[in-house]
Amino acid sequence: MDFSFPKEYQLFRRMVSDFAENEVRPLAKAVDREHRVPLETVKKAAALGLMGVPFPQKYGGMGGGEMGYCIMMEELGRVCTSTATVIGAHTGIAAMSIYLDGTEEQKQKFLVPLASGRLIGAFGLTEAQAGSDAAAIKTTAVRDGNHFVINGAKVFITNGDIAGIMTVMAVTDPSLGAYGGITAFIVETDTPGFSIGSLENKMGIRGSSTAECVFQDVRVPKENVLGQFGAGFLTFMKSLDIGRASLGAACLGGAQAALEGCMEWTMAREQFGVPVATKQSVYFMIADMAAEIEALRSMIYRTAWLIDTHQPHIKEAAICKLYGSEVASRCVHKAMQIHGALGYSRDYWVERAYRDARIAEIFEGTNEIQRVVLASNLFRPYGMRIPS
Amino acid sequence: MKIIVLIKQVLDPTGILVRRDKEKMFINREEYILGPDSKAALEAALRLKDAGGAEVVALSMGKPRAEDALREALAMGCDAACLVSDEALNQADIPMAASVLAAAVQKLGGADLIVAGRESGDTGAGQIGSRLAEALNYAQVTDVHVLTGEPGAVQATRRWGSGYATVQAMLPAVVTVAPEAFPARYAHGARIMNAYREWQVTTWNAADLGLDEAALKPLLAFRGESFPLPLPVGEQVKGAPASAAHEMITALKLQKVIG
Repeated sequence: MDFSFPKEYQLFRRMVSDFAENEVRPLAKAVDREHRVPLETVKKAAALGLMGVPFPQKYGGMGGGEMGYCIMMEELGRVCTSTATVIGAHTGIAAMSIYLDGTEEQKQKFLVPLASGRLIGAFGLTEAQAGSDAAAIKTTAVRDGNHFVINGAKVFITNGDIAGIMTVMAVTDPSLGAYGGITAFIVETDTPGFSIGSLENKMGIRGSSTAECVFQDVRVPKENVLGQFGAGFLTFMKSLDIGRASLGAACLGGAQAALEGCMEWTMAREQFGVPVATKQSVYFMIADMAAEIEALRSMIYRTAWLIDTHQPHIKEAAICKLYGSEVASRCVHKAMQIHGALGYSRDYWVERAYRDARIAEIFEGTNEIQRVVLASNLFRPYGMRIPS
Repeated sequence: MKIIVLIKQVLDPTGILVRRDKEKMFINREEYILGPDSKAALEAALRLKDAGGAEVVALSMGKPRAEDALREALAMGCDAACLVSDEALNQADIPMAASVLAAAVQKLGGADLIVAGRESGDTGAGQIGSRLAEALNYAQVTDVHVLTGEPGAVQATRRWGSGYATVQAMLPAVVTVAPEAFPARYAHGARIMNAYREWQVTTWNAADLGLDEAALKPLLAFRGESFPLPLPVGEQVKGAPASAAHEMITALKLQKVIG
């Protein structure tokens, strides 16, 4: 068993780390304050292949697999959760769904521009009444000759307003339910009838956009059916499964940043005549952070390896997301306690990290849904069915 | 134009802890990186390639692990990479390194232009470019801040006293560059993957270069290392920030440190 990263990944991490420090970090505070997407960073990332890290080079990707993708997400998560979210939603679920289930023609037409970063992708699943209960979507797609006509509205769509391509799940046969009645489509957002409703005013990840996307008689050619007709729910679930590992990787980066920030601060800050790092109440918190981070790191990269070697990974990916988001939340919670009033100030990084960390327990399947996924996979071999 | 870039792998200084009080250097993390001056040299060469087309070959002398620095050079955009590595070279001093590199350049068929950093990130001797130019009988320009190519020559702007001078060097030439003037590009992710999976580094030993025993004898012997004497404490300026800053500026002007 060899736990070392292959050399290309070590060099890739150094490159991404330099990119994150020099290009992403300087904007992190401003994009949060100004509530704007750092599109200039996206452009720079695209020029380095960072908008298509996991995909093969023949599809315009970088050829880094899930391992490379998790490394990038960790390094981005270390400096700016918003940027990690923009690139993560684009790569990990939107482009990923086309990579996993697209035809060769669809990959050439849609994955190549996404992976090379010429277009941004979004993943259209959630609806107002269909959050955790994703199969309860109401958006419909009705066949009309060689086209499907999509009607409905998606909410909380990351990148919705900046995307050129969106993968969309719609009901094609209400009588068949989730498995058989739902189909995935690739929608070009310049298609007439597609529009943006409201934009969310969020607590954190404010440097990413979260949009309501409205479909009013959006005509999509039948060639844009993604995966098997009627099997859209499976296509989307597969994408989400893989996305969970990299989401955990971004949390790993956030937690690591909190640890490093706390170490730096506690060595410099003196109270009672000594650095606060020497106080047991403080260094116990730091030791706990480090222990959880190391456990998470092993989990993330082992899961990336499972994915890259085409082994079962649903359970492990759910743990990455569940444990990763909770480790990140616990670390930023401790970071604020350690920094005291300074941590609570809008002028310091801790406050933003605290707000940014919270979303990871919610999006791409709440942590409660992760527990459902996990329990279902644990009990299934014994013939026990866990209801959602 | 054929450009050879001299690069060197160095110990990552961020992994080193210097304890002056204990007169010791602790290596917390032994990791080797492509030196910052080498990265600048690669950047200068790759800019010439971007501007007018050139074949860029990275060349290094070092331990087998220096292959990683050469793969990084390939990832940044070099067309080929070549490592000279031999146990007989482990004790090489700078004159010996220059003659080994000169032999490697000749085996590569010579170059129109050789680019190196101003000084390496470890020993910082700043001699290899000049010595190589002498060995090969090439023109040389050191400490270059701006570099452009033209038919049969390069234009180079270099430090000259407190200002700059722009000179023209007929090819073949050796140019050493100032790292601050050539911030290196990021390697493209796909090139990083290909640098390890698809592309090769040519490796030569001393025999491949036809180096005899006389060429493999260092002139210098290593006797040990020590910390430099601590610098004397200079003039200290105290007071409120605004008035202290004013006083400091005045002092620096009087001593002609700033204009």
